[in-house]
Formats: sequence, structure tokens, C-alpha cells
Amino acid sequence: MRQRSWTKAVFPGTLAVLSAAVVLLSGSMAWAQSLVLYCGRSKTLIEPLLERFEQETGIDVQVRFGSDAELLATLNEEGSRSPADVAWFNTTGALGAADSAGLLTQLPQDLLQRPAAFVPSSGRWVPITTRFRVLAYNAQRVSQADLPESVMDLPKLKQLKGRIGWTPSYPSFQDFVTAVRILHGKEAAKAWLEGVKALEPVAYSSNTPMIQALKAGEIDVALTNHYYVLRLLHPSGKVKLEDLEQAESRKALEAAQQADAPVKMHHFAPGDAGNLALVTGAAILRHGDQPEAARRLLSFLLSPEAQRFAAWSVHEYPVVHGTETPSYLLPMERVIMLSPAFDFEQLRHLDQTLELLREAGLF
Amino acid sequence: MRAWWWLGLPALLVLTGVLAPLVYLVMRASEADLAQARELLFRARHLHLLINTALLSVGVLAVGTLIALPLAWLTTRSDLPGRGLLTLVGVLPLAVPGYVMAYALLAACGQQGTLAQLAGVHLPRPRGYWGALAALSLCTFPYLFLNLRGALRGMDGGVEESARSLGLPPWRVFCRVTLPQLRPAFQAGGLLVGLHVLGDFGVVSLMRYDTFSYALYLLYRNSYDRVYAAWLALLMLLITGVLLLAEAHLLGRRLFHRTGTGTARPVGMVRLGWGGRVGAYTFAAVLALASVIVPMGAIIHWMIVGRAAHDWGDLARALGSSLSASAPAAGLTILLTLPLVYLSVRRPSRATRALERIAYLGYATPPLAFALGVIFFSLRAVPALYQTLTLLVLAYAVHFVAEAIGPIRSSLYQVSPRLEETARSLRCGPAATFLRVTLPLIRGGLLTALALVFLSAMKELPMTIMLAPLDFQTLATNLWDKTNEALFAQAAPYALAITLVSSLLVAVLFWSQRQGVH
Repeated sequence: MRQRSWTKAVFPGTLAVLSAAVVLLSGSMAWAQSLVLYCGRSKTLIEPLLERFEQETGIDVQVRFGSDAELLATLNEEGSRSPADVAWFNTTGALGAADSAGLLTQLPQDLLQRPAAFVPSSGRWVPITTRFRVLAYNAQRVSQADLPESVMDLPKLKQLKGRIGWTPSYPSFQDFVTAVRILHGKEAAKAWLEGVKALEPVAYSSNTPMIQALKAGEIDVALTNHYYVLRLLHPSGKVKLEDLEQAESRKALEAAQQADAPVKMHHFAPGDAGNLALVTGAAILRHGDQPEAARRLLSFLLSPEAQRFAAWSVHEYPVVHGTETPSYLLPMERVIMLSPAFDFEQLRHLDQTLELLREAGLF
Repeated sequence: MRAWWWLGLPALLVLTGVLAPLVYLVMRASEADLAQARELLFRARHLHLLINTALLSVGVLAVGTLIALPLAWLTTRSDLPGRGLLTLVGVLPLAVPGYVMAYALLAACGQQGTLAQLAGVHLPRPRGYWGALAALSLCTFPYLFLNLRGALRGMDGGVEESARSLGLPPWRVFCRVTLPQLRPAFQAGGLLVGLHVLGDFGVVSLMRYDTFSYALYLLYRNSYDRVYAAWLALLMLLITGVLLLAEAHLLGRRLFHRTGTGTARPVGMVRLGWGGRVGAYTFAAVLALASVIVPMGAIIHWMIVGRAAHDWGDLARALGSSLSASAPAAGLTILLTLPLVYLSVRRPSRATRALERIAYLGYATPPLAFALGVIFFSLRAVPALYQTLTLLVLAYAVHFVAEAIGPIRSSLYQVSPRLEETARSLRCGPAATFLRVTLPLIRGGLLTALALVFLSAMKELPMTIMLAPLDFQTLATNLWDKTNEALFAQAAPYALAITLVSSLLVAVLFWSQRQGVH
């Protein structure tokens, strides 16, 4: 009797040990023959793309998802032992930091020539899609006529005291502050931060809860990225690549992507720092062992079908000319004009921006 | 003790697992020179973070106790009909990850919140201190509840009866006899709650309340400054270290088991009056509404909104991954914890107590820093294990030992060494005594520990993201990925799956507790 109750107690434990042993035996370096991608982009956004790539090329792709910084830290700790072949990051800052750490290899010219803009002077990573900074606002409470031509004038809008949302610790906001620093100088950037701070802005950890708060009426305007607004107004559900091959099915998909929310987007004047393009890009890693498969993946990400998919499924702008986009996106040429133009390689100098943010007590 | 290996092996594993990441942090931190280090460490902001963290921990402990203690008492000591359901209310919130709870509370309140749309109730959107306090209290009080409930059930009713026969009124019996006996349980649960609050980033980031862990999380997730992050992590460990020393000091050397002869008497049930019942049910209903119905309602709402697009195959794969990592981790954790706790209770010495503290330190190491340390050392020491499930399971197990200590320790405290001595005097060997006498008596504690670790491993994020094999997506990583992209409808099935599996586990726990003890 006693023996039995003991057996009962230990049963789950024994089972666990057995399964642990199985795991131990089966643990092997499965990535030896596959293409390994470290992906700062979210799984939801890229999985259909990778499936298509695997079908078309027969190359097995294995992915590690994480934030740019997590993956970069991992790559740095792994050093030359890293199993990764390709990195696809959300921010120019992360790509620049990876380059500075000597993790990237030179890309061939035929890849670098395909994007219409934003190609870095180093040639060690290639832009894949781009997003833009915008000012989102609650159209029931704010009139677009009252919104400024330049983001630099935001501190003058005293009527918005306590009603501005921002994400001081979020990478895309930090890239924006870096752009302000490069375009207007360190002092101006500092004055801008202090000026907005005087309006008692509401700080969010990321854009998603901020947009939800804007919709809920907690704030009236939000310094954010364009696709967060579009995802609210045109929720995409699960888009398949096949859905985008025919013009009619693209139209049908677009018609289905409609939702109601009192949120709109304000673009500042062309060339303003508040319209900064946020380029996502990919690179081939120096310690990878599949350079040819890696090159094919990058080439695939710049193909018409992949570029089109980004526009419809996650509402990002393509970087290759002639890609069909839904009507709720601006023409590609126009948004490229909206963004300030400078060598985006400079965005890698994040240290000084972080210092500014720390001095302002924001980070 | 001849069989040293059965302690030596777990101890070695826990020691390496906890100390290696610490060594890693010190290595990274020492990349800064002295002036730089001073500048990084002594910032006005750190004091602000410290105060905020302390306020939040104390608040969550207080609110958690106010919820857990009455609930534990009602479910073990009163004749309230439907006590089983009440117990469920006390455990089910464990199934809801903190950030889901926070998202649900945020979605429910506000001008356009679900409560406003469905019932016309306009609650202010929770935020800052009060928001974080509400969400964290609601998802951590079960740690206290489980520990307190176990202790209340396992108590010898004879002690209380003696006090009453000596003329003490019931409430003074409770204060002077029952409460003091609950101390180890309260401290074990409270420590877990405290460590949980110290380490939380999901809730505080959504509620926008600046704590140490939030600042650290932002650093690791969004910036590339590994040196500053290492300093901040070490600073946080220092705070936890102080807390752990304080807790050890408080527990001291006390006896909680029976020392006399005879058998323990079951505790008496208190008959609740009509008013008491109404009060108890109201309390339970409000608690259930806030901790279970609101988050579950939100999940089900999203589930319906996105019903067309659910990807069941993906869900099944994620479920498989979650189980394949959490189940072995839970088992291994128990195997590591049991010898540590047994020795620290039966043969308390400086070494055994230090080992237990070290296990808590592992729990308190910021998971991202912990993971980076594991990456660094595993690639250099055992590259074949890198990015395998084995490594993830080992990391989980070492990290979660602290969660298993509480329930096992509480149940072991209540087993009198006399029983074991009797067995030994009847020619039962030490191993046989342990297996045939001790183990059956602490079964409840073991199962509670198993369930707790399983649940935590299933919800775990940062270590899973950093250490899992390639292409390994768990329920939690999928859920996080989709909620982060504001794809709530797509996230719902994963949230629901986590909750259902956890509830199933809670049911098993229930059943085993009914079978046991009495």
C-alpha cells in the first residue's frame, strides 16, 4: 500500500526524467545543413514569406526570433561560434551596430542595386522595407489644421499639455531623435526633448499600447510609426502570398481590410525629421557557413512577390520600384520625398542619443 | 551520509547554473573603467527606481495577503458550500500570464473599453502605480494562497483545540496560534511574490510604472549597451540579495512540526453564519470577476473576433513545444530541489542554507542576463548542447528551483523527524525511510511544486526566446509575438491554450490533494 502511494508521487518525476533523457540524446546540431536566420522582425509578419522561399528553393530555413538588441547581444556573445547565416533587423541602428562589431560581410552589387533608396554607403546590408515616422491623432478631438508643419514645433502646442503620447525607450523613437541630432544639432535635439517634456507627455513602452490608448481617448496625439495607424484602420488578418497574385483578389483583400477608429495620420512637411524613414534591412553574417543560400534569401526578400506581401500584410513600404501597393499607402516616390535625406549609416551613432535621453531622465 | 552524490549532483548543477551567469555579468560589468562605473551606478534615477520598486513590492505583498489569507482560510477552515470552486478561483489566475492580465485590464477600461461597450461601465484606464499594483496582485496572489492553504490544511488541530480549551476566544486563537504557524508558508509565498515583482517587466511596462526591472528590460531589449545593463543587473541582484538575507534571518531556527507522541488531530471546521456566507461569496465573486472573468472574457472576445483566421496546426505545434520543454523542466526541478530542501530542513547547516539562498539568487537573476550568461558559457564549455532543448530545460530547471522550495519546505516542516527515526529503529535503511515514510507524507507539497514550476516554465519568455532551439515556438512566444504586434485576435488561441493546459494541471493538483493527507 505504502509502496503504491510512493509510486504515484514519483511517477510524474520519473516520466520527466525519461523525457529529459530522450531530449538529451536527440539534441544535435540540426542547423549544420540549414540556412539560419536571426530575425528581429515578428514571426507573424515573415512566416508566409519564408514558407514560400523554402518551397521555391528547397532550402531549409531555421529561425530565431527576438528583438534586434537581444539578437545582437546573442551574436556578440556567440562570436565566431555563431550558427547564424543571415540577420534581418528592424532598425538601421541595429544593422549599423552589427557592422561596427565586424559581424557583416560585403554584399554583391547586383543586390545593392535593386532598392530605389536607402542603400548604405558601406554596402554591408541591404534595405528590405521601410516605415515612416508620423504624428497620429484622434480626429474627434484634434483638427489637422492645428497640427504643425515641422515636428520641431511640437513643443509650441501648449493646448496639447498632458495629451501627447511618445515612446522614449523605443528604438524607432531613438532613431528619430538621432535624426534630429544629425539634422539640427545636439542642442536643438536637447531643447526639443525638454520642450516636449514640459508638455507632460505620456510615455509608453511601445507603440501598440500607445495606439490603443490613442483610440481609447487617453491621449490626443502620438509620435509613432505609420504602420501602427494603418494596422488599426486596415487590420490585415492572415494574408497569403497567393491572395496577392491577381489584381481582383488584391482588390477584394483591400476591401476587407476596413475598421473603424477615430485615428488619423499627419505627415509633416517634406524633408522634416518627423517624417524619418525607418529602414528594415538584412545582412549576411561573416561567421555563417551558407553564403550562397543567404544571398538567395536576400534576393528573394527583394523580389516583387515578397515586396508586395510586405505592403499588404503589414502595411510597410516596399523599397523596389514598380511594386503594387494598396491604395491606403502613399505612392512610394512621394514617401521617399517626405523623409529627410542623409546617409542613414549615421543612425548607428546611438550612444550620443542615449546619453541625451538619459540626461533628460527619459531612459 | 554515504550517498553524497544525491546531494552533490543537484548542488553542483544549481551552483554552476546560478554562478556562471553571475560571473558573466561581472565580466561584462568590468569592461567599464572605474570612473565610468561610478557614473553609471550613482544616478538620481536609480534612487527613484529603487523607491518605486520597493513601493510596488510592499503594495503587492499587502494586497496579495489580503486576498490570499481569507481565501485560504475559507477553503480550508469553513463549511462554506462550494469551497472547491473558491480554491479554483485562488489558483486559476496562475494560468494567466501577467502581460495578458495587464492587456485585459487595459482593454476592459477606458471610454472605448469593453466594459463601457458591453455594460456602460466607465472605469478609468489603469496605469502607473495603481495599475501595476492591481495587475500584479491579481496574478501573483496564488503563490501566497497555495502556500497558506497547504499550511492551514497540514496543521495539527490539537494545538488550536488546546488553546481554545484554555479559554482563548476563536479570533485570538487565530492570531496567537494559527497565524504564527503560518509564518514559513507566508514567507515562502511572500518571497516568491516579491521576487516576481522585482523581476516583472510585462506588467510594469504596459502600466508604465518605472521599476528596476523595467529599466533593465528596456536596456537589454532596446539598446546595445551591454556594460550598463550588466551594472544595473548586478545592482538589482544586490537588492535581491539583501532581501534574501533578511528573509533567512526572519525564519531563524523554529520548529513547526509536532514533537509530542500521538497522532495529529484534524482541524475543526468553522460554521459560517448567513452573513458570513454572503460576505464570503461577495468576496469570491469580486475576486473571480477581476482575476479570472475579465482576462478570460477578453481572450474569448478576441477569439470570436478572429475566428476565421486561426491557424490550428501552428497552435498544435506550439502546444507540443511548450509541453516538451515545461514537463521535463518541472520534473528536473523537483529532483534538484528535493535533496536541497531535505538537507536544509533535517540537517540545517551554514552550507545547506547558503545553497538554498543561492537557488533564490538564480531566480532573481534577470532572465535576459541569465540567458546571455548561459549562451556565453555553453558555447565555450558544451557547444554540442547549444540551441538544444536540453539546454533550455536545464536553464529552466536551475532558474525555477526557488519556486519549488516553498511548497516542499512547508510540507517537510510538518513531517516530524520522530516518524523517520521510528522507521530507522525498525531497521528501515535511510533510503527506504525516505522513500516509504517521508516521500508519501510530502506528496502534496511535491505536486504543488511540480505544478507551479510547470506553469511558470510554460509562461516563461525571455529565456525561451534566447535559448530555445531554432524554429522552436512555444505558446508563450507566439502569444507575445502577436500581442506585441497588436494582433489580439490571432493571439487569443495561444492565450486560451495556455489557460486551458494550466487549468487542467490545476485540476490534477486538486484531485491529488483530495486523495492525500486525510
